[in-house]
Parts: sequence; structure tokens; C-alpha cells
Amino acid sequence: MRQAGAYSKLLCGGISRRTGPHSLPLARIKKIMKKSSEDVKMISGVAPIVFSKACELFIEELTRRSWNIAIDGKRRTLNKDDVASAVIATDLFDFLIDLVSNSHANLVAGECVASNTNVFDSIF
Amino acid sequence: MVDNIGGSSSNDNGDFVIKEQDRLLPIANVGRIMKHILPQNAKISKESKETMQECVSEFISFVTSEASEKCRKERRKTVNGDDICWALATLGFDDYAEPMRRYLHRYRELEVDKINSNNQEIRGGNGPHA
Repeated sequence: MRQAGAYSKLLCGGISRRTGPHSLPLARIKKIMKKSSEDVKMISGVAPIVFSKACELFIEELTRRSWNIAIDGKRRTLNKDDVASAVIATDLFDFLIDLVSNSHANLVAGECVASNTNVFDSIF
Repeated sequence: MVDNIGGSSSNDNGDFVIKEQDRLLPIANVGRIMKHILPQNAKISKESKETMQECVSEFISFVTSEASEKCRKERRKTVNGDDICWALATLGFDDYAEPMRRYLHRYRELEVDKINSNNQEIRGGNGPHA
């Protein structure tokens, strides 16, 4: 990355002092951005910072909506189905519908990575 | 450009399964943000945090794809903060776009301040310039 020195200090320290710490790791955000599309070539230093804020807002909104569903069900524990229901109930989150209906398969895949077993043996 | 993110799992499936820590944001950070917005007595299941991790990564990919498509059409190589704001607004996240623009604006102001004060140090102090 071209940006180093003053910029990286700013990313780590400067903005934190006045606007609060970045609550999400910028390097990881950048990795996820790079994997999203073949078109992604270069990412400016500020883009992951913008995303760290946007992701915070996204998590807050989805959590709030999920919590309302838990409350309707007279529960005080937020569970995975509450999140899935909130996604289904919100047009803005349509891009997540496949993900939440597949979430069981994804979790199984994650466990397979950890235990080094074959994904397909576990699902089928 | 193919990046080696150093995280591909080298098991029998080859590159098919990618390590979770590379494609998801840390569960501790995600959980903290969730906890912050909920009442004191609320409990959050581990599974719901995991689902949220997946959703956030999908959100990042979704918005980034839109932003990078715009850059491709305009023959620009670098996805910048304004592209992200634009993509957020285009995809219906209008409520986020405005706070983002303000955040970006504040970041740029701080950036200019920081660079100016660094330059002053290099010139050897805060005395008046000739």
C-alpha cells in the first residue's frame, strides 16, 4: 500500500482520539473487500474506515430488529432464528436471505475446517 | 490481480474451504457492537453472533461489488470512500450514507490537521514561518 507513515499513524491513532476507536479491524475489512469481486483492484486507505462505521450501523440495525422479534416472542436471549426472521422481514436485507437460510450449512462448513474433515461428508 | 491472503486451508478440498478468520470479522468485536445496542439484561446466543458475522461479511461484499463496478465503468482503479458512500445510497442504505459522508468529511479534516502538524515538526518547531 502506498499510504504509510503519517497515514498509518492517523489510521491507528489520530482519528481514534477524537471520534472513538475503530471497533472493527481495518485489515480484515480490506481482505473481505478484496475477495468480494474480481473488479476490485485497489482500495483507498479510507475505504475500510468508512466501512468500519457502516458495518457498525448495519450490525446495530439488524440487532435492533432481531431483538424486537425476540421480545415479541417473550424472550430475553437473542438467537439465530431472530436474526433470520429480521432479515426476512426487512426488504433492505433481501441480499441476506439465502445466507440466513443457508446458515446451518455454513456453520457445519466452519466446523469442518476446524476439524479438518470433508465438508460434504458432514452435510450429506 | 490475485492476492495471496495466506489463509487458504490446505486440506483435501484444496482451495474450496477458506479459513473463517479470513472471511469473517472477529466474533468478539461483532458481539461487542451487538451488546452495546441492546438492553442491559439482554443475552446473545453464540449462534446469533456467528450469523451476524456472516451477515456483515456479506454486507461488505455486497456494497464493495457495487462500488467497484462503478469504478470499472468509470475506468478508475481505486475504490475510495465516496464510492462506498455512493454504493450505500444506491443499494438502499440511505440512512447510513449521510452519517458516512459526515464521518468521511471529519476524517479528511483530521488528516489535513495531522499532516500540517507533522510538517510543522519537520520544519523545526512552531515558530513563525518566513
